[in-house]
Amino acid sequence: MSLAAVSTKSIPPNKGGVMATLMILAPLVLLTICLLAKFDYIVVPSGGRGLIIAGLLLSLFATGMPISIALGLSVLTFMFTMTDVPIVTVSLKLFTGIEKFEIMSIPFFILAGTFLTHGGVAKRMIHFARTMIGHWYGGLGLAGVVSCALFAAISGSSVATVVAIGSILLPAMVEQGYPKRFGAGVIATSGALGILFPPSINLVLYAVATSGMRPIGPNGMPVNGASIGQLFIAGIVPGLCLATVLGVVTFYQAYKNDYPRMPKSTWAERGRAFLDSFWGLFLIVIVIGGIYAGLFTPTEAAATAAVYAFVVAVFVYRDIGFKDVPGILLNAASMSAMILYIVTNAVLFSFLMVSEQIPQGMAAWMTAQGLGVVGFMVLCNLILLAAGNVMDPSSMVLIFAPILFPVAVRLGVDPVHFGVMMAVNMEIGLCHPPVGLNLYVASGIAKMGISELTVAVLPWLLAMIGFLLVITFYPPLTLFLPHYLGM
Amino acid sequence: MFLKILDRLEEIFISLLMAGATLLIFVAVLHRYGSTVPFLFPYLHEIDMTWAQELCIYMFVWMAKFGAAYGVRQGVHVGVDVLVNRLGANHRFKVIMFGLLAGAIFTGTIAMLGGSFVWDLSGTEARSTDLDAPKWIVYLAIPLGSGLMCFRFLQVAWTFWRTGAVPHSGHHIGGVADEVPGLHPQGIETVPHFPSQETRA
Repeated sequence: MSLAAVSTKSIPPNKGGVMATLMILAPLVLLTICLLAKFDYIVVPSGGRGLIIAGLLLSLFATGMPISIALGLSVLTFMFTMTDVPIVTVSLKLFTGIEKFEIMSIPFFILAGTFLTHGGVAKRMIHFARTMIGHWYGGLGLAGVVSCALFAAISGSSVATVVAIGSILLPAMVEQGYPKRFGAGVIATSGALGILFPPSINLVLYAVATSGMRPIGPNGMPVNGASIGQLFIAGIVPGLCLATVLGVVTFYQAYKNDYPRMPKSTWAERGRAFLDSFWGLFLIVIVIGGIYAGLFTPTEAAATAAVYAFVVAVFVYRDIGFKDVPGILLNAASMSAMILYIVTNAVLFSFLMVSEQIPQGMAAWMTAQGLGVVGFMVLCNLILLAAGNVMDPSSMVLIFAPILFPVAVRLGVDPVHFGVMMAVNMEIGLCHPPVGLNLYVASGIAKMGISELTVAVLPWLLAMIGFLLVITFYPPLTLFLPHYLGM
Repeated sequence: MFLKILDRLEEIFISLLMAGATLLIFVAVLHRYGSTVPFLFPYLHEIDMTWAQELCIYMFVWMAKFGAAYGVRQGVHVGVDVLVNRLGANHRFKVIMFGLLAGAIFTGTIAMLGGSFVWDLSGTEARSTDLDAPKWIVYLAIPLGSGLMCFRFLQVAWTFWRTGAVPHSGHHIGGVADEVPGLHPQGIETVPHFPSQETRA
């Protein structure tokens, strides 16, 4: 993370010698244990196998190597030394892991988002939001929440949202007399909203990671995973609620401190601003409407969205010219390849989880402890919040969904509800101190230190955690819309 | 010189696959709805597009494998670097080097596994469902892509050894992270259409 690297210059060059040695030695020691076990010099008790997997994974993550490589290395090491799974099976998984048409919606959504993050789409969203609600208390802040929600939905990336909206809105807010920390807090937290709004790449990843697992439900019958369409529809209401919650926090602070308001816009201005941002927003309609009405599969919807985004960016908005297209394609391709590469290795990992029966073991342990659904959900949230500190959302969902999803289903949690709950966790993880990704990006834009920003995001962060509890323990909020639509 | 050509080829290859797959699926969708229009039906009915889905998958598998190699060169693969960033420069060097070499070992192993798998497959008559293409050619993406990725890891490690710099594109998501102010000296662009002081309430 180059953004984090900026702050490392002040560290004395010889600091951390012991830690560095431990970081390199830990995976090597575990490798030695695996090799010793393979050649029968030591016997690993059955309970120790899960610990070895966890140890390998954590020690490799700790070295900062790419998450995909760490996943793949742990799985290969464990499979070759501790199991009798033939090598051919593993090779086959490498080939067939991403051979699913559903997964291919990810590159298309990324391409669509990349076309619309370049250029003036952010400006148009902000303008639209400002004309609608700019005259309320904390008008620009509220406009920030709304424009972040809109922009995050179509760009599909929280980092892109924080950069695009933040770099325009923050200077404008400071100029209007808002404290910088207020603006930075709004943008850093609202930028994460995109994970719940369709089309969300992380919800696609959840569907992909859990499809085909068919875990056993509480009544002994296998349960199907959640489909991309169901998850997209289910994310809408919680997304709107969370945006409202963030808006209320913004409004309340602005009201209390009497932050400036904007002059009220006329309906003519609003109309013009809406027409101007309409083309970008229509992308959401294409995807959701198309999938729900059964016009497209999610992947076809994504490809259509990518072509649509190209036409809008090049011919309607004219933000980019033909000469920019190759660069955008390359950017989108490398971003997609990075995610697909994690998916490939995560498929291997989930195969290992299934063959070692780790989720089943966890479910049995949970039931034996009498933790029940409530205990499990609290535990899930704690694990995910902790992981959200150090991992990006897509890796998180690919690693934790295969482990936690079967347990959740065993305890009777709805697959769609669990997916949306994970998404809210990811959103919080993005702006959660000490190392949320959005915090780093926002600190770069606002030129504020992380510790200062940590204080700045606190009101919104607490509200988000409160909202997480509601989502976790009140499933109808998530499930009523897909059920009402008969999905 | 040779490396420059390889770099360019890699970039052009993955960009073309991205564009090609998008157009392919878009055309397939148009074709499906076009066939329902009565006067177009006789023309479009003749064209068979059932292979589009499979071709799209294979194009993206190739794009993913070669794009991952490109990603190593660009530093887009995300890792958990909380601990590494707490280390002093001298020790950070060792840990990062360990990570890069582990990456090379993993991708090298996969390239070899994939290579022997494809070799065995090339002796069989296995063909893909819709395209009827020999499977071993389709799966060649794994040894070639992983091999290139291994080479890129070694290349990055070698540059790191000589100059102490690793490629970092920041968070490449959406391609706007390069524009993060603070990373670049030009600073924040002010947007003219925003009202200034006189509009304060």
